[in-house]
Amino acid sequence: MKLALWSYQAPAHVGVSKAAASFGKVHCVVRAPKGDGYSTIMLAMFERLGVLPPLSFCAMSEATLAGAAADLPAMLREIDARERPELIVVTRSATAAVLQEPLDGEIAMMRPGEVNAEILLAGTHPVRDDEISAFARTTHEIVAHFATAVPRSERPSVNIIGPSLLGFHDRANVEALRKSFETLGIEINAVVPLGATPEDLRTIGRAWVNVPTAYELAKPTLEYLRERFGTPYVSTLPYGEAGTTRFLRELCGLCEIPAERIAAAAQDAKLLWYSRTVDAHALSSKRVGVFGLPSAAAGLARVLRDELDMQIEFVGTYALAYGNWLRERVADLTDEVLVTDDYREVKRAIDRTRPDIMFGSQMERHSASEFGVPCAVVSPPSHILNFPLGYAPFIGYDGANHIGDLVNQTQVLGLEHHLIETFGPRGQGRFAEAAPEPVGEAQPAGSVAEAGPRWDPAAERLLGRVPFFVRKKARANVEKYARERDIVTIDEAVMLRAREHVGG
Amino acid sequence: MFEGNGGVIERDDFCSLAPIGWLHHKMQDSFFLVVGTGSCQGFLQTALGVMIFAKPRFATAVLDEDDLGGADPLDGLRPIVAAVVAEHAPKAIFLASTCTPEILKMNVAGCAPPLEREFGVRVYPCRLDGFDAAYTQGEDHVLQAMMARAPETAEKNLVILGCLSPLEEAEIRLECAQMGLPEPAFLPGESALDVPPLGPNTVLASVHPYLYAAAAFALRERGTALHKSLFPFGPDGTRAFYETLAAAFGKTVSYAEREREAWAALAAQTAPLRDKTIVFASDAMVELPLARTLRAAGARVPVVGTPNVYKKYHALELATLADVEILERPDRFALFARLAELRPDLVVANLNIANPLEGMGYAVKWSTELTFQPIHGFSGASTLFGMFAATLRRHEALAARRANDGAAGAPIDLDFFHLAGSKR
Repeated sequence: MKLALWSYQAPAHVGVSKAAASFGKVHCVVRAPKGDGYSTIMLAMFERLGVLPPLSFCAMSEATLAGAAADLPAMLREIDARERPELIVVTRSATAAVLQEPLDGEIAMMRPGEVNAEILLAGTHPVRDDEISAFARTTHEIVAHFATAVPRSERPSVNIIGPSLLGFHDRANVEALRKSFETLGIEINAVVPLGATPEDLRTIGRAWVNVPTAYELAKPTLEYLRERFGTPYVSTLPYGEAGTTRFLRELCGLCEIPAERIAAAAQDAKLLWYSRTVDAHALSSKRVGVFGLPSAAAGLARVLRDELDMQIEFVGTYALAYGNWLRERVADLTDEVLVTDDYREVKRAIDRTRPDIMFGSQMERHSASEFGVPCAVVSPPSHILNFPLGYAPFIGYDGANHIGDLVNQTQVLGLEHHLIETFGPRGQGRFAEAAPEPVGEAQPAGSVAEAGPRWDPAAERLLGRVPFFVRKKARANVEKYARERDIVTIDEAVMLRAREHVGG
Repeated sequence: MFEGNGGVIERDDFCSLAPIGWLHHKMQDSFFLVVGTGSCQGFLQTALGVMIFAKPRFATAVLDEDDLGGADPLDGLRPIVAAVVAEHAPKAIFLASTCTPEILKMNVAGCAPPLEREFGVRVYPCRLDGFDAAYTQGEDHVLQAMMARAPETAEKNLVILGCLSPLEEAEIRLECAQMGLPEPAFLPGESALDVPPLGPNTVLASVHPYLYAAAAFALRERGTALHKSLFPFGPDGTRAFYETLAAAFGKTVSYAEREREAWAALAAQTAPLRDKTIVFASDAMVELPLARTLRAAGARVPVVGTPNVYKKYHALELATLADVEILERPDRFALFARLAELRPDLVVANLNIANPLEGMGYAVKWSTELTFQPIHGFSGASTLFGMFAATLRRHEALAARRANDGAAGAPIDLDFFHLAGSKR
């Protein structure tokens, strides 16, 4: 047993379902206790889906423990009839794996034609795999399941590999690449897994080149396609303006397109100009830490150093299997590469180096805030804030602009905070309301009209138990109630009566 | 509408680990140690995420391949409990067995006594699994574990069963004092070591409709019968709750006038509910009493989905809902079919299906909020009805303002993602 408080990666079945449910006309079924079903909530809430996601849980129950069969075939029949998917991917959570049910046998015993969809049992190991490896492996399995030998497309074309539902700003990332590819005359053959249908996968071999948006999520698929069809993939990560130009140059080489066309695609890229403006000169003295998904960490660190001249204190990742990959990528940027899946170790690194800006996941944002270090969120694990309604890519030229804005905003906020600390009256900053109101002490002058009601100590104590963010309103409501009824002393009973009448 | 052909049900509810969120908050000297998989840890992180950052008093002992291979759990737990005790110094540890230990027949509960002896900290073994229990029933199992440590008594004491906020407790305490009843003890209290005495004369009153196992345990082990009353939601249920409590102590008290006053004070919150059709999807097992009081407030509630119904435990509530269709543990798609027939004004549903239901054109009240807002008693009624009224008001207001704009508010569907960059 190992004590776990918080982890960067979700369990394997979440990685499988993120990949499978992102394809078009593919449905994912997870065999698990219903308690494992929270990944559907993440899909419904984070992506704000107004439809049910193509993800179902075949729930284990007490009856399962008593020996009842999974009844997987019945569920597959229902999904087949209701959703008409072309493929149903079946996987199980770690808990279900312990039971060692013969799901493959149940599937094999279904009559031919019992369901129209094809059925694929995911090969991921529910305990040994992590979210990243499960996602990457499942993507590869589904691609390999459908891929057929087809002639190369007439015009240059690419497959974008890596974007998914619940991915990090992935819809915008795809759009940012699409714009550049359109200008260059490069067709997008498929986006995998986000939206690729079995029909798209059958012709995935048409593409001239594969483009990963995150190497660690795409690796098995990239290697499979290279072996099977000889399709090369771009090795440069499209982070930053210069980075995107290098990326497109590599792509143009592979697509036999003149690199001169890139200038047209780069027209709206403004990161390098921003970097030259005097506004940005101060960035040279700024020290930063970068931590996240390997590709995001490597890509960001390069932009921050090469394009904005910031100083890299450390770069790191929680994907332990990609530690060496990251080390190679950032060897010229920093000596300190942190490879750990323990958030407390990252927190200690932030504490030790005290960077001017931290770039990390939502966890680093929290850790950094404890030391007053501003943090830009550039990597999963995500937060609802990483699912903006608007367009906020992290890769391509538009992504470069967004990174510039992010650096700028994070900085300015940091400065604002500093100004408030320096010049603002004590306790009047925007965090002041978070502090609990003193209980049983004299009320702040002016908060109650002179002839207003008085709080007895018991009521004041009870008010102190009201959550801080509604306490002020509750106090006002109760006092209003008391004033309206000429109540001089507010005791617990008055307070509860007031709550009954005005809520809060 | 598609007709199911297999009796396979898709349920929309979460794991009974969820109550750790409010229970660890209530009992400030407790620690919840969950013995389970990375998925349990992931659930706690996702569901109780914001609390992770404040040195949380809950954690998961994640089973590794040795444990799955049959290693003695006590060996694995010892160093973990040592670390928890060193870092948090809890007065009591709740040692929770989950789905996987149950499948492995791993004796997690059996580890509690030796751990308690070795570390000198009380260890309550409890089972919080994600199989059949409603998520709120995790609290039921925690309270049952605490009851096992209750001192015996022959006295006629009053015990209020169920985790309440200080505001809700204050009302019950004040009303009991006014009626001349004994000072009520609350389970859980502010300390995980506070377990009120239980005996054959104890008046044990449950405030939550999901505390069935604890009530059954009290009767079986201590001869403590559960006090029979409606649950104290809404003026009607609250009146019944106090009047029957008084009766249990041989007093006759009428709350008729108090109830009338309460309804009058609630006019602003209940008026928008009058003649509105409200349907509950299944979620927290608070559906039965809420349906009852919403009907008392003038709403129509033709269908109530709820995870588990216990005929005797819920008898009084069920009696008020005789003409209501109650769907126990409903299949998601069977429920959708009923909704399509009824087209209710408001659906009360959890996060799994809330946005998709909005996408189908229903006004949806997010149901999970009902378990962490203080909605008990007379003083909570305004919050209770206000939550439903606010959702209806918002929907009506937005609909009125964009009445002529047909495309406005179209839901995000999968094409929204699939079209990005696609050649189609």
